[in-house]
Amino acid sequence: MTLKRILLAAAGLGAMMAAVPAHADEIVLRALMEDVPETQIIESLLPDFEKETGIKVEFEKIGYGDMHDKLVSQLVSPQSYYNLLEVDFLWAGEFPAAGWLADLKPFIAKSNYDITPFIPSTLDLLGRTEESLQILPMYNYSMGLIYRTDLLQDPKLQEAFKAATGKELAVPKTLADYVEISKFMKANAGVAGAAMQGQRGDPNSMEFSNYLFAAGGNYLGDGKKVVLDSPEGKVAIDLYVDNIKNGAQQGALSATLDDTLRLMCSGKAFSMVTYWWMLPQVDNAEKCPDVAGKVALSVMPGGHGESGGWGWGIPKNVSPEEQEAAWKFIQWVQSKDVSVARALQGHAPVRADTYTDAKVLEKYPYYKEAQDIVATGKSFPIFAYSAQYEDVLGTSLSQAGGGEVTTEDALKAAHKGLEELLAK
Amino acid sequence: MTGLMHWASREARISWGFAAPGLLLLVIVMGFPLAYACLLSVSSYTLLKPAILPLVGVDNFATMMASERFWNATWLTVKYSVVTVAVQFVVGLGIALMLNRVVRTKPIYFAILTIPMAMSPVSVALIWRMLLQPNLGIVNHLMETMGLPRLDWLGSPNLALWTMAFIDIWQQMSFVVLILAAGLASLPREPYEAAEVDGARGWQQFWFITLPMLRPVAAITVIIQLINEFRTYDLPYVLTKGGPGTSTEVLSFFAYRQAFLGLSINEGAAAAFVLLVIVLAMTVVFFALLEKRAKG
Repeated sequence: MTLKRILLAAAGLGAMMAAVPAHADEIVLRALMEDVPETQIIESLLPDFEKETGIKVEFEKIGYGDMHDKLVSQLVSPQSYYNLLEVDFLWAGEFPAAGWLADLKPFIAKSNYDITPFIPSTLDLLGRTEESLQILPMYNYSMGLIYRTDLLQDPKLQEAFKAATGKELAVPKTLADYVEISKFMKANAGVAGAAMQGQRGDPNSMEFSNYLFAAGGNYLGDGKKVVLDSPEGKVAIDLYVDNIKNGAQQGALSATLDDTLRLMCSGKAFSMVTYWWMLPQVDNAEKCPDVAGKVALSVMPGGHGESGGWGWGIPKNVSPEEQEAAWKFIQWVQSKDVSVARALQGHAPVRADTYTDAKVLEKYPYYKEAQDIVATGKSFPIFAYSAQYEDVLGTSLSQAGGGEVTTEDALKAAHKGLEELLAK
Repeated sequence: MTGLMHWASREARISWGFAAPGLLLLVIVMGFPLAYACLLSVSSYTLLKPAILPLVGVDNFATMMASERFWNATWLTVKYSVVTVAVQFVVGLGIALMLNRVVRTKPIYFAILTIPMAMSPVSVALIWRMLLQPNLGIVNHLMETMGLPRLDWLGSPNLALWTMAFIDIWQQMSFVVLILAAGLASLPREPYEAAEVDGARGWQQFWFITLPMLRPVAAITVIIQLINEFRTYDLPYVLTKGGPGTSTEVLSFFAYRQAFLGLSINEGAAAAFVLLVIVLAMTVVFFALLEKRAKG
């Protein structure tokens, strides 16, 4: 009798649960986020969203290197645990090609969401087409040069540099000048000339891309023809390897973004080629007292750096209610007001109206340089196998940096690898 | 006679009946993933085209075998596994022998020894990554204060694999020590007493009594550790991502790379299957040799 009652009660409860429709305010949005300042900035504003909509948002923060696999395993499953996605531009070829993302255009149309303030290049970077828009820009991570002004202005170093090279010690204008100064600093200033992120894969391929674009090279030419193995490409890889060997810190070949930040922060490096929004992290008297007030930002010497960005996506394999809630969040977080509130904490905007906002410029005058960096940035090849190409290119660069292969062979292998993956 | 046979078959049926739930669970938990992996390895399944059909036979294996990186990964895995297990065994046996003589404070030693074993390999790798950081890590700092050169532990293609092996040995050693210490504690005292009467010295007792009697436990320890080392994945993933170059790209990392970076689950499954076959072959050969020696 008791068992019968329990079974009846369970069946009744099940029927009730099935009959009651899920409300957006009962939904918990779960997102896998890279553990970087941008995530922390948004996290600090989440209570406002929760108060406004009643939707709870949970961020699971991990390092970049672990994100792709964790997301893929959820996206291929029947039901994704994450119902809100943070998507790197490097996956903007793969995720839509695999059919994992919901098209945002119907959501945009239904809610009359205005996407015109978004900088067009940030939308293109994330694979926007005429037919669909699957990823909405979140923030950009174009790369530039952060350098130490105190070392550059040191009279003794200026004199020594002039004596050694016949040139003035100033912010480098070309890639060759930059590497020359980096090597000089390592030999004369008691610091690493460059804090380099040479670990195989995403760190070194992103870093090298700056060298390639700065030297006038590119990955793809007209008609998507691979043009990496070019005279400019050779200059870029030679200078990259030269800097790894003679300008960078010890251990550069295994270093990641975190390592370079720590090194720069401790005052043990002259420069780093990195994401422009790293400047407020380094120029922070609380976190980096050794270098705060002594650092500045410039466009990558040579005029072009690597451009990148993150976007928001909604997985296909979650319920329509979860998708609606996710879209509600995306609209909110990318609205003008929230974008400005984020920018005032150091956010790297994707909306043009945020860069020109008076309050933002008053607090961070260097957003003018940042806008130049974003405007001059070029992109790593975006296709279904971008993540694998990072590994292919990264391996060649790492082998060249470690002296296992020549720069000629490394460049040829990286060129061939890109051709093969594009044809796959 | 017929009654006995009837009784025996009834007994057998009951035995199978009791074993059936366990066997079924084993088939579900072990057999299904294995069969599925096997199917994937001969399929055209990729993350972009997630369909088993058409089956491609041994094409995935052929592609893999033609790759220089596969052979590099295989060689690195063999080298890494043999060295780590050999060091773990030799040093572990030495520590176990010393612990065998300790009487009063043994639990304290065992408690300390279990600490690395209880830690997850990812945490271990992260801790060591910080300790070995070339510029800000404590290891290089201490070496410098002792007048030794700073080393690029994980950034040098010649050193990275052995640094990884050292970290692995540090963590896995406790397991070897504990198993061997348990084996030593279970050895009978009589052969030693007889040997002492015959005037056998310490090393003679070790060589002619301890080692032969410990052989089954030692063999199990070695085979378990070899299997563990062949599957090493966490350490290269956290410490080096297979680099610098391909100097720490062991077989399981190669399989991961094919599956998740190359989006080719089929090729990843083929690599994982090769790993499984190597480990199985090693286990079979090892036990065959052991049995032959025992009979001889």
